[in-house]
Amino acid sequence: MRIRTLAIANLKRRKGKAAFLAAGIALGIGTVVALLGLSGSIRREIGTQLDQFGANIVVVPKSDSLALNYGGVSVSSVALDVQDLTGADARDIRDIPYGNRLSVVAPKLLGSVEIEGRRVLLAGVDFASELQLKRWWRITGDAPQAEHEVLVGYEVAVALGLVQDAAPAAAHQGHGAHASPPGAAHDAGLELRRDRLDIAGAQYRVSGVIAPTAGPEDRMIFASLPHVQALLGKPDQLSLIEISALCKDCPVGDIVAQISTRVPHAKASAVQQTVRAREQAVDRLARFSAAVSGVVLAIGALLIFTTMTGAVMERTREIGVLRALGFRKRHIVVGLMIEVGLISLLGGLVGWGAGTLTSWAALPWFAQTDSAMEFHPWLMPAALGAALLIGVASSLYPIFRAARLDPTQALRAI
Amino acid sequence: MPFIVLDHVSKTYQSNGATTCVLSDVTQHVQEGEFVCLMGPSGSGKSTLLAILGAMSHPSQGRLLIDGIDVYDLADEARADFRREYLGFVFQQHHLMPYLTAVENVMLPLAVLRSPGGYKRQRAMEALYRVGLADKAARLPGQLSGGEQGRLAIARALVNDPPLLLADEPTGALDTHTGSQIMEVLLELGRQGRTVFIVTHNPESAALADRTIHIRDGRIQPPGAAGPGSADSRPSARLIGAPLS
Repeated sequence: MRIRTLAIANLKRRKGKAAFLAAGIALGIGTVVALLGLSGSIRREIGTQLDQFGANIVVVPKSDSLALNYGGVSVSSVALDVQDLTGADARDIRDIPYGNRLSVVAPKLLGSVEIEGRRVLLAGVDFASELQLKRWWRITGDAPQAEHEVLVGYEVAVALGLVQDAAPAAAHQGHGAHASPPGAAHDAGLELRRDRLDIAGAQYRVSGVIAPTAGPEDRMIFASLPHVQALLGKPDQLSLIEISALCKDCPVGDIVAQISTRVPHAKASAVQQTVRAREQAVDRLARFSAAVSGVVLAIGALLIFTTMTGAVMERTREIGVLRALGFRKRHIVVGLMIEVGLISLLGGLVGWGAGTLTSWAALPWFAQTDSAMEFHPWLMPAALGAALLIGVASSLYPIFRAARLDPTQALRAI
Repeated sequence: MPFIVLDHVSKTYQSNGATTCVLSDVTQHVQEGEFVCLMGPSGSGKSTLLAILGAMSHPSQGRLLIDGIDVYDLADEARADFRREYLGFVFQQHHLMPYLTAVENVMLPLAVLRSPGGYKRQRAMEALYRVGLADKAARLPGQLSGGEQGRLAIARALVNDPPLLLADEPTGALDTHTGSQIMEVLLELGRQGRTVFIVTHNPESAALADRTIHIRDGRIQPPGAAGPGSADSRPSARLIGAPLS
């Protein structure tokens, strides 16, 4: 016979109340585990979707001079006397240790050309990767398929008379275009008046016009990368490489560092706006989950406090007898703590199991993802620890009050 | 030196601004091995005096010495240890734990000791044997008769082999026959040299004691004041100590 024997015997005697208390703890822990599991999966999905939406890393030739502004985002510097990027650099970037995290690598060559008496920025791109990266583009017509086909930005198209200026309506449609399915080129509702352009003395077919984006692409023409390289006399050269990295489990800074090591003559920069937007979106969800978890645990703690207070009051006489028999206050506290601890561990274990099952079952309803629930080995000990902490902390007051009971008063309460 | 010294002990309670005196200037000596009965009407202060003797209720004034130890000079935890080592308590309602077997109930005071479980069980079985319940060690209190429950409560009080046994109306809730059995067990413990102090309403029980103390309105009555038929006036073969005036 030890104090723990007495505690266990007491639990067996009060199975119903112990089960009720354990159920309360299990409910609280289960809710938190389910919430954490679900919100973790949803956060990952949001992060992945944000990662796939536009570039979050830009690679440019290393330079300390002219600032380059692209897409409204300050990405780096450019200079005329530095080593240009090449196609080999784009391939090397794919070979970094985190290469499997790079969903899109979109190389570009920028140059100025004269078209029908106007200076226009011409961009050579790989249309497959570019359209995957710029999912918000809405195109009237088709994406270029052939060597001599170009995609024209809205302002250039208006200036060259390719389309009629319908900026307000088109702009409105353009803002709503972020919901476009990945890789899809939609008709933006513009009417193409002509589809032929003379660029540097050669004839090109305008396959499509990009609806207004309020970005630099409005003032650009896009053609295939090899063709522009040939046109500008810069074979295999690149001005910059835009990258979309999936930063689910790795910080974007690590990817940037690996690119800088792999291509030392280039400067890789994280597009801070994109990274911060991702962090903010993910952090908001995390904070929301934490707040809801806190409320649930607080309610659970209140339940335990109430139940334990009642249980201790019921046992006033018993505690008085034990004190009269020579139990110290510490012995009373230890005995009651063992009871609460065992109940809490049981509740935590059941809560962890129920929460994990619930989040696994409910995930398809909350997140459009095919990925399976991730199993976190730390979650079970964390759930048990949290259950123990909440159970014991919520019981401290009634337990210490019980231990402080004067044995005479306790026996008089018969 | 007397085994128990109650030295000008008083106990008052404050309630709604009024002070109630439950015990007033009680001074008594009890010698080691003495069997003492405390008698008095309801509300006379018997239970309060027993609680003070049981190291459970701090007197408002005065002091209690048991075996030379100033009991209420001890810190709370030390007083708990003192209760466990020096005192055996038999409650009127026995206060057995209904979810523990007889032997487990007897082992309760040993639960806080670090001794091996086998040793504790052996001590408990010895205590059960002394009260004639060794064959019912595995039974729950609810499976025992009233008399057996009383003897079980005595076994629990004995398991630590305390020098002082305190009993609060141990026969109060029992029929005459069963009450006699319990008294016989207590008397036997007294004959073995243990100091026994019991509160009782029963003059027949009191007549078996070495000495009877009468209490009324919180004051100890002088010998003979309870009348010619009272227990304290009867001759006792074991009278060792005498109340101080």
